Amino acid sequence: MSLKDIKTKIKATERTHKVTRAMEAVSAVKMRKTQTAAITGRSYARAALSILARLSGSSDALRHPLTTVRDVKRIALVVITSDKGLAGALNSGVLKVAAQTVTPYEVADVTVYAYGRKGQEYFARRSYAIAQNIENKDDGVNVSHMEELAHALAEGFTKGEYDEVRVVYSNFKSTFEQEATARVLLPLSVATITELVKDIVPSKGKFSELPTLESPAAYSVEAASDDVLTTLLPHLVAISLYHMLLEGKASEHSARMVAMKNASDKSKEVAHDLTRLFNKIRQAGITREVSEIVGGREALAT
Amino acid sequence: MAKTFHLTVAKIGENLFDGEATSVTLPGSEGRFQVLASHEAMVSSLVKGTISITGADDAKQEIEIEDGGVAEISNNQATILL
Repeated sequence: MSLKDIKTKIKATERTHKVTRAMEAVSAVKMRKTQTAAITGRSYARAALSILARLSGSSDALRHPLTTVRDVKRIALVVITSDKGLAGALNSGVLKVAAQTVTPYEVADVTVYAYGRKGQEYFARRSYAIAQNIENKDDGVNVSHMEELAHALAEGFTKGEYDEVRVVYSNFKSTFEQEATARVLLPLSVATITELVKDIVPSKGKFSELPTLESPAAYSVEAASDDVLTTLLPHLVAISLYHMLLEGKASEHSARMVAMKNASDKSKEVAHDLTRLFNKIRQAGITREVSEIVGGREALAT
Repeated sequence: MAKTFHLTVAKIGENLFDGEATSVTLPGSEGRFQVLASHEAMVSSLVKGTISITGADDAKQEIEIEDGGVAEISNNQATILL
């Protein structure tokens, strides 16, 4: 490699470094925003959960169409991935778990709802039926898209188009740790939602303190409890989905931040090594020239 | 001063009210009703209408319900989910 080539390469590496460093900073800010959104939404999820926990004592809750457990023949799979790459192993992790989730079922028995382009591409390539394909471009979670999806899922489930709805998303544990997770969204059960509320809390770092759930009290239920459930359960589906999406977003941003940080570090290292190489070659050239001059002079002197 | 209770009005992704209140009037599915401090534990579904809140400092606030919701009252705490 000539000196000029090395110089160009150093410049290019430094430019890459600038770009990745900027992307890292941007992802860090976005990650913090999503985390805050997840925490503010927590009180809602907790309140909804405690109402359900108390009402589920009554048999009405178990008879509601959204909580009925059926034999699982057909499933709907919601895959939450990012639209863009450059996020390390995030999407491949989610897709791996998604693939495991659908393995026991025939291709025709699976309905895929793809939230994010990566998941859509993966399942379309494997000729699964994609019922809905939602863009995941925003930095936050688009509430109206989410509600639409929640509604579609609840309707499909009630109509018996599928017997179970599973969601595969990436659970945010800490900035450096995201875990691809599969959860059953429908039929709703107290167990699933409790787990979800627990998941909202990152295992380390800011916001990691655990919320307490008050013990159930006796209730008087205004209106028929059926009525309350009919209003509450769709809300619970929506809030569960919303939180999974938030987790997915927080994971995406933090995974991208870490990936970009690694890229920045690496580009710095490469630039450093290249500079070393550049200096060495330059020095070798100088030494050679000096010895040539000295040699020439010696030859003239004799 | 009137006794207060903790009131939370929340929508997915957004907290509309979170703080002490002396009274809140809700459009229940069986008619409008008012909740004061130390209300009996209850659950009710809400219909389209207006929530009127009187805050601890007598500040009045109104929130529109567009799509129904659920109110839960226990331990001197009211939680309204829209």
